[in-house]
Amino acid sequence: MNILQQLINGLVLGSGYALIAIGWTVLLGAARLVNFAHGQLYMLGAFVAWAVMTKLGVNYFLAVPIAVVALGLLGVGLQGLMLRPVMQQNLTSLMIVTLGFGYVFQGGAARLFGGDPERFVSPLQAAEIRIGEIWFTWQDVLTLVGTLLLFGALWLVLNRTRVGAVVRSVAEDPRLAQLFGINAALVYIGVFVFECAAVALGAGLVAPRSPILTSMGFDEVILTFVVVVLGGIGSVTGSLVAGFGLGLFTALFGALVSSAYTTAAAFFVLLAFLVLRPRGLAAR
Amino acid sequence: MTIDLEATGLSVRYGGNVAVDGVDLAVPTGRMVGMVGANGAGKSTLINALAGWSRGTPVVRGTVRLGGASMDGLSPHRRAAQGLVLVPEGKGIFSELTVMENLALVRPPADTTGRHLFSMEEIHELFPRLAERRHHKGGMLSGGERQMVAVSRALRAAPRVLLLDEPSAGLAPRLVYELLETMRKLVDRGLSLLLVEQNVRATLELVDELYLLERGKVVARGPAAAMKNDPRILEAYLGSLTA
Repeated sequence: MNILQQLINGLVLGSGYALIAIGWTVLLGAARLVNFAHGQLYMLGAFVAWAVMTKLGVNYFLAVPIAVVALGLLGVGLQGLMLRPVMQQNLTSLMIVTLGFGYVFQGGAARLFGGDPERFVSPLQAAEIRIGEIWFTWQDVLTLVGTLLLFGALWLVLNRTRVGAVVRSVAEDPRLAQLFGINAALVYIGVFVFECAAVALGAGLVAPRSPILTSMGFDEVILTFVVVVLGGIGSVTGSLVAGFGLGLFTALFGALVSSAYTTAAAFFVLLAFLVLRPRGLAAR
Repeated sequence: MTIDLEATGLSVRYGGNVAVDGVDLAVPTGRMVGMVGANGAGKSTLINALAGWSRGTPVVRGTVRLGGASMDGLSPHRRAAQGLVLVPEGKGIFSELTVMENLALVRPPADTTGRHLFSMEEIHELFPRLAERRHHKGGMLSGGERQMVAVSRALRAAPRVLLLDEPSAGLAPRLVYELLETMRKLVDRGLSLLLVEQNVRATLELVDELYLLERGKVVARGPAAAMKNDPRILEAYLGSLTA
């Protein structure tokens, strides 16, 4: 086994985890909201891009932005429907409502796209780079660089701009924000749209690694929960570090121990970690 | 005398509880109006209802007019944007944001008719300490400093009418007096202000007009000078010290 290869695999996997998690992180941290349809949104992102490519003949590099925009629009609609429980910060209702949305998406997608595995192909997936014994694809590079850029941009917006301060103020106290003249409902819509769009981008970059299925939603994002919680709920930097950490762990555990138990092992690490640091990596 | 803020028949119910019951109230331009009453009299509920704001889910009836324009049905952020600016009791700023970030959240309006604009320089003149503390997070400030940020934020929003809910809560007596005197100066420059206070003595010294609220109803109102001698005020709030 080549350790360097496993480290590269880990970084690539980790950037994917972090990228898929980022929408959730912002939603939880910046809006204190939950969305259990996150996995199905990932699935929809992949299928919209796939459908645009196979049915309309659009190329991959345009299909992914189309999926990002489509999911963003879907986010506006969803948030519009959920606005009342959101404004009341009724998390129990939101959990059930979003879980419900997830199943509706899954069923709808099965009707629309069928139940068979489909090949969502990126041209960069076949473009390999070999350096001695080590290899990776240009898709891996794109995912890694895209993730780093998105995280960097997001960090800057959240911490260095007025828009970011507005989002943080609504996260801390949406009612008080209203007295500052801030339309909290609009901020929630914005954050939700970001979540949907970001998960669609994640799907566009990560999903081409394997065949896509309309039933894949929950399983594909299960490790995202680990990243979000491990990173310290709502911490952008924390979830990037947690994403890479988890990617490296998955790659090394899979290579050294057994890939069959990777998910269980990841959750075991999460449990052990949370016993020691209940608030995650970002805890001060 | 023109009226900047007027409420007619204002009632607020929480479930079956009537917290405010048919209150009529007017804040004339450039005047400081005080609202006093015992704990639970409905003062905070009333001032929050004027701003259309609450942390609960009250049912509000009656009309509120700002400079003649109806505020009924407008959400709190829209009322704030029109110049009806509330500094709530207790937590009035964001503890995760710095002083500067808190102040930068609000922006002066495009249409400044009837509004009172305050530049950052003026704010720093009023509260010099904030200039030193501008990069500190809200959570790191003392109670008095937080109150200064809360008031400064409201001033940056260019109020037409400023609503202050118990700015003295939790502050040392000297700070209370300083803060209220600063408010008085602003009123003398033309700002219209409604002040809800527990501290009746300090309030009477500074306001032009006083309302006494009991169990959600206005039981007495009048010019401060006259209210000083109102038997209900004397008995309940000023006690033997001035009697």
